[in-house]
Amino acid sequence: MDSAFVGFVSVWPTVALIGLMAPVAVLFLFSRGGMVVLLNLGLAFGVAASLSVALLNSGEAAAARDGAIAVAVFFVTALCVGAIVVSGKSLSAAAATQLAAASGLGRSNAVMPSEFAEASVAGSNGTMIDIDLYKRTEAALRERESELFQLVDMIPSHVWRLTPDGEPAFFNKRMVEYLGVDVGGMAKTGVTRLEVLLGFVHPEDATEFKDALNRSIQTGGPFSLRYRLRRSDGAYRWMSTRAEPLRDGSGRILQWFGLCHDIDDQMRLYSELEEREARIRRLVDSDIIGIVIWDLDGRIIDANDSFLLTVGYDREDLQAGLRWYDMTPPEWQAEHTRYEAEELKGTGKMQPREKEFFRKDGTRVPVLIGAACFEGQSSQGVAYILDLSERKRAEAALRDRESELAQLVDMLPVYIRRLTPEGEPVFFNKRLTDFIGVGLMDIRATEASRLAPAIDDFVHPDEAAQVMGTLRRAVTTGEDYIMRYRMRGADGVYRWIETRAEPLRNQDGTIAQWYSVSLDIDDEVRAQAALRERERELSQLVDIVPVHIRRLTPEGDPVFFNKRLIDFLGMAVADLDRMGLERPAAAMQALVHPDDLPHVREVVRQSLAAGEPYAMKYRIRRADGSYRWVDGRAEPVRDESGAISQWYSVSFDIDDQVHAQEALRERERLLGQMVESLPALIFCAAPNGEPTYRSRQLQEFLGFNVNDRVAPDGSRLTGTLDFVIHPDDLATVKEQYAHSLSTGEPYALRHRLRRADGEYRWVETRAAPMRNANGEIVQWNAICLDIEDQVRAQDELRLAREKMARASQAASLAELSASIAHEINQPLAAVVANSYACRRWLTLEPPNLDRAQKTVERIIRDANSASDVVNGIRALFKSSTDARVSTTVAHIIADAADLMAEEARRHRVRMNVEVEPEMPVMTLDRVQLQQVLINLMRNGMEAMEAGADPKLISVRAFKRGAVIQVNVRDQGSGVASPDKIFDPFFTTKKDGMGMGLAVCRSIVESHGGKLSVESNEGGGATFVFTLPIGLKQ
Amino acid sequence: MTSISDQIVFIVDDDPRVREALAELLQAHGVRSVTYASAGEYMRADKPDLPASLILDVELPDINGLELQNQVAGAYHPPIIFITGHGDIPSSVRAIKRGAIDFLTKPFSDDALLTAVSAALKQDRDARRERDEIALLQRRYDTLTPRERQVLPLVVSGLLNKQAAAELGVSEVMLQVHRRNVMQKMTVTSLADLVRVAEKLQIPIVHSRRGARDDR
Repeated sequence: MDSAFVGFVSVWPTVALIGLMAPVAVLFLFSRGGMVVLLNLGLAFGVAASLSVALLNSGEAAAARDGAIAVAVFFVTALCVGAIVVSGKSLSAAAATQLAAASGLGRSNAVMPSEFAEASVAGSNGTMIDIDLYKRTEAALRERESELFQLVDMIPSHVWRLTPDGEPAFFNKRMVEYLGVDVGGMAKTGVTRLEVLLGFVHPEDATEFKDALNRSIQTGGPFSLRYRLRRSDGAYRWMSTRAEPLRDGSGRILQWFGLCHDIDDQMRLYSELEEREARIRRLVDSDIIGIVIWDLDGRIIDANDSFLLTVGYDREDLQAGLRWYDMTPPEWQAEHTRYEAEELKGTGKMQPREKEFFRKDGTRVPVLIGAACFEGQSSQGVAYILDLSERKRAEAALRDRESELAQLVDMLPVYIRRLTPEGEPVFFNKRLTDFIGVGLMDIRATEASRLAPAIDDFVHPDEAAQVMGTLRRAVTTGEDYIMRYRMRGADGVYRWIETRAEPLRNQDGTIAQWYSVSLDIDDEVRAQAALRERERELSQLVDIVPVHIRRLTPEGDPVFFNKRLIDFLGMAVADLDRMGLERPAAAMQALVHPDDLPHVREVVRQSLAAGEPYAMKYRIRRADGSYRWVDGRAEPVRDESGAISQWYSVSFDIDDQVHAQEALRERERLLGQMVESLPALIFCAAPNGEPTYRSRQLQEFLGFNVNDRVAPDGSRLTGTLDFVIHPDDLATVKEQYAHSLSTGEPYALRHRLRRADGEYRWVETRAAPMRNANGEIVQWNAICLDIEDQVRAQDELRLAREKMARASQAASLAELSASIAHEINQPLAAVVANSYACRRWLTLEPPNLDRAQKTVERIIRDANSASDVVNGIRALFKSSTDARVSTTVAHIIADAADLMAEEARRHRVRMNVEVEPEMPVMTLDRVQLQQVLINLMRNGMEAMEAGADPKLISVRAFKRGAVIQVNVRDQGSGVASPDKIFDPFFTTKKDGMGMGLAVCRSIVESHGGKLSVESNEGGGATFVFTLPIGLKQ
Repeated sequence: MTSISDQIVFIVDDDPRVREALAELLQAHGVRSVTYASAGEYMRADKPDLPASLILDVELPDINGLELQNQVAGAYHPPIIFITGHGDIPSSVRAIKRGAIDFLTKPFSDDALLTAVSAALKQDRDARRERDEIALLQRRYDTLTPRERQVLPLVVSGLLNKQAAAELGVSEVMLQVHRRNVMQKMTVTSLADLVRVAEKLQIPIVHSRRGARDDR
């Protein structure tokens, strides 16, 4: 398009030239082909005109104007030429034909696209006029020379003639007038006329002129050039020169004829037009808008790159042929074909409208399109297409942003209001209306204002007046404001909000709107209130807790004492300063107990240096002067960089505690000592039975300590038990122990325990659990009592009892006799029976001698055993002195008392034994004398059987001269016949045989003593027996 | 003393010499015996079901002889002969009162023993015989129908057939039929025999003519 336009625009001078030249042709051809030429002229004119119209329409008024001028000039020139032609000159047929042909050729310098072939008739820059004809008709022309001279001088062009070597030979009148000098005047010595002529050429163009001319002269090619030629008045004007050689029949150049036309105006016009063209081209080239030359039949004749870009086609496609229709979406096609075409036809224009086109790739592009027909016709025109994609995108983006913004306004958790400059609310955002539960427009209005009602209805009464005042002031002064007040929500609850408002001003500074934004600070306000409260509580706490609290600088200087500490020390931080104790060292010196001072100093120093917390106990002087133990701890507080910002120190009075601990320790020590000194074997065990502690005595007893005996399974308990418990008792001990451990029942068991020397001793182990406050067992405490002696004594007792029983049995004659009888009768009965049997066997027919023999043997056997029985009984009663031992009556009495203890208890009889100390050792039959005592005691108990409690038997033994006397006294029924009771078989008892006392007397008498009885005053009897001390056997 | 093989004497004495000797003596007289060392042993043992007697020592280790006598008192038991190493009168009196055959003190004469044994065995034989007889009678009685059982006491009480029938509410003919059946089943041929059988079986005599009037 550009080149076309270049062609078109640059055609002006050409057109003008042609306009001038053409008449020359016309001049020659009028008689023949003049009409053709005129037609061409007309066509050229038409194009020019329409172009100017187009330009006009496109707003290039200046260019159009110039164009019009050019056209006018052209037209006038044509008319002039025509007039000249009409004056009668005609041309030879041949020349006319030639020229017609030549003009018909009309080729321009500018490249014209083929599409424009039809309109390009006259569009040529360098029309070549074939002057061959001229040459051929030279002779004829000469005749017309004078006419021509006239013509030549008349035409408003410079005509000149050069010699074949380029010397100017003729200037026409116009030229002479222009130059201000004739050809002849150019003759100067030493300089060619050409050179002189060249001097008239503008220095900038001279070189080119000279070169071109020389070239032409040498080559014989046509000369054409534009250059500036100096006018007589010194001004340079643009000229367009065409020169061609006149050749003779052989082709030799005879003359050069040239035409020089003032194209200065055209050039100016051209340059102006060029400028304008450039400007228009700018529009076309700038790609800010698509420009298209269209044909109503649907062809796109030309388009700029911008358009091609918009629709996605390239130049090749354009050249191949683009059609509107293909690019128009179906929905637009009807309109395009109908309405647009109508409009164009009707008005010559198509008002801008939005449409869509199909791109080459099939996508749609929104466009704004406007068109205008070329002047005077409606089948072709120009159109501009503005790619609205961006705009549409922008529009869409804008809409989005708009909606975003609206959303934002409603979504932000703030209340947004807009007020008029007078303060009238005109907009509440959604948040606000949701909060208050009422839309803005639903708020009642008083005197067409909602402001006051809004405040009345929604602002807390306490703040309402202030709010109104602030608003009014703002409206008046235009100052922004911040205020806090309570606003009532839809639920009726008031919440604190903070409102800020700013005016939006117009350009002139007046307020266009008020914008106010409110934030719900209710939680904040409450939180702050709570915080303040907590702060208050906290500081209260600091002063109330029964702890001394200090705050120190990083260097350790005190800066804060809590109330407790102040009361304790009797001074505050300020007092420290006053007393010159502001340095920690001095303070310490004054307040810390001298004995603790070095340690405290050192600890504090280390702590401060290392930034490490400390904890220590020391004594500090109280206000009353006494020293109290305190437990002091301090910890540093660090800031973000890790540096210590301050020290917090806490100490509490542990004086009482310390003293209590000391007392406790002392008690513990005493307790431990006590435990160790007890004559018992004490040990402690863990709840699982593992021994944890043994008293020293136990350790010595066992010969090892708690950790010394470990079983293979690692249990010290098992190890110990296995080692120290008698094998026979081990199972029972383990079982009982396990039972106690699991059930928590106290443990008590008698068993044998191995002493360090290897001997087993009977012990009674008793263990009891110790429980904590929850009732859980924390420890077992046990004691082992050595009961060896006891056990032995019990054993002896048992044995003695058994012996006694046997002896008693033996002493009981009734039983004795029965048993004797029985014992003897049995063998005797067997003997007798066997005897009878023997007799029988012998008296049988025949006698059974074998059986008889057998029976006899049995007789012998059984008789002997009967004899044995007798002997045995006798032995039982034999008072052999071999049974006598050295002992004292005290022992015998004690044994008898022990043996009778159980019986006495059963009879509810108390036994009182008084034995004189230092009884002499005598040789006595212990068993027999025991029996005597027992018999006497028993008798006494039986005598008191029927009596009332208290029943008392008292046994007294004492020295009396050469004898020991033993009294056995009862409170019973007494003895009726004191003499007779010692007789054998005398008894007052219901089922007795009466042998007891007789036997007793015989025993006593066998010892050399006497046994007698006395009645007591107050009831009862006293049996008395004596034993001579000096009895020795 | 006839040595009858189908009799046995149990000897219970804790003294083996005595046991041995007594067994020897009895054997010499052709009397079979079995010895036991204690009352418990005797009680637990399986004893042959023969006419028997028991020679029982009073002084026994577990329970004494007198106590054993008490324990077996309720049911049938062979007659007991007590022996003792030392007898006291109250014990012996008690023993005899409770049915012992004799109470002998050791040593005793063979005569005394054998006499007692003989008497005991005889007693036992008689008792067993009697027992068997009664058992037999009882078995026979068990075959009687209820009606017949009703008839029996009436008949033996001396009622006339007519009266008996009236008592039962049956015809005299029926009664006679029943009576005949009873006699047949009880294998007696005369009324007198039937009466004896009834006495043996201890069937209560009811509805005697005399009693009917007196019993009101």
